[in-house]
Amino acid sequence: MFAQFFGSYLLNEGLVTRQQLAKALDDKKNTKTRLGVLAINAGYMTAGQVEFIHQVQSTVDKRIGDIAVEMGFVTKDQVEELLSKQPQDYLVLGQTLVNNNVLTNAQFEKALGDYKSCNSLSEDDLNGDKTDKLDKIIADFYKVEGTADTARYTTYLTLLLKNLIRFVGDDFTPLSASVVSDANYENTVGQKIKSDNTDGYTAICCDTDIYIKFAERFSEEKLDTADDFVNATVGEFLNLHNGLFIVNQSNEFGEEMTLEPQEFVYKTAVSFDKTTIDVPVAFSFGTVHFIISNI
Amino acid sequence: MTINEMSVMICDDSMFARKKLKDYILSLGVAACYEAADGEQAVDNYKEYKPDIVFMDIVMPKKTGIEAVKEIIEFDANAKIVMASSVGTQNHLKDAINAGAFEFLQKPISNDQVLKLIEMVAKGV
Repeated sequence: MFAQFFGSYLLNEGLVTRQQLAKALDDKKNTKTRLGVLAINAGYMTAGQVEFIHQVQSTVDKRIGDIAVEMGFVTKDQVEELLSKQPQDYLVLGQTLVNNNVLTNAQFEKALGDYKSCNSLSEDDLNGDKTDKLDKIIADFYKVEGTADTARYTTYLTLLLKNLIRFVGDDFTPLSASVVSDANYENTVGQKIKSDNTDGYTAICCDTDIYIKFAERFSEEKLDTADDFVNATVGEFLNLHNGLFIVNQSNEFGEEMTLEPQEFVYKTAVSFDKTTIDVPVAFSFGTVHFIISNI
Repeated sequence: MTINEMSVMICDDSMFARKKLKDYILSLGVAACYEAADGEQAVDNYKEYKPDIVFMDIVMPKKTGIEAVKEIIEFDANAKIVMASSVGTQNHLKDAINAGAFEFLQKPISNDQVLKLIEMVAKGV
């Protein structure tokens, strides 16, 4: 999941545009991470050294790894180690941005370094989805004034992003959340979450073309009109996610919550009287808004 | 009983969830696959078709899956009902078992889980 937040960081720093990022997220499934990016990430080579090797490679018929070893920038063991590991998703994203000429190797190196240091991330933290660091990134990212139970929102949002990766796709960028008093999109699927001490509301909102694409991803079927089946599909994603959330809460805290059947609203604004946040997630096919109120 | 002789009923208010499960169950070659979109319809259809196995959601309009299980069991104490729900919280698990469901599947449910249960019922376990 660091890839998504790294993408978001690049966006917020103005290093990439929304369009460039969306294109890279779409392209990255075909990207092979090259040794240069892996070596920069591991701190074995600087971007300058990588550029130099690329220049050398254009004049001789040798592999990058062999040139790097000959130049004494890395050892043979380091090359083998880099190539044997499955590259992390944020590196694949970085490589795609370099390939698309959006970032240079040097810009990638600096952005990655800055991102790691501002989130106090080590190489180990980035290998795998270590939950404590991830929770902190998510909590910081979604810091919104006025939400009563921050830990609970963080748990909800972390699970949401994981479920999006699991059931919809990893080609998204989380955008900053904001407090809203209403949601006015073409399509809204809402579901209430209730317990003894909460009367919460959650929803997925977006315009119709994006709504259909989201449903296509989740259902793995070709869909072209926003009919009852598309409603049912998006509704089932919300239900599935909310269900997993309340099961976790039940197992971890013994807190019993219940869900209500979903409500579907078309071209009608929904307003909220309790503190509500809008969490936009920019997929390569468009931005989907997740509404969370008083959970 | 073989799978080809079995009749199955799927109760879920989500047209999407019903279609996904039905597509898979029909691919197994069952004799019949009935559907219900709420708890009330689930009870009515059970009485009419007496399916060999029922997959039952919990959160549904009109009547919840738990209420529907109670009524079906009152009608037929040997009904084989599997809860297939997104809300497998401790209370729901307890309620489902107390109502007479014989298994609980947390969504997302996999085809393998469904196949195992259908085979089990076919063998009369």
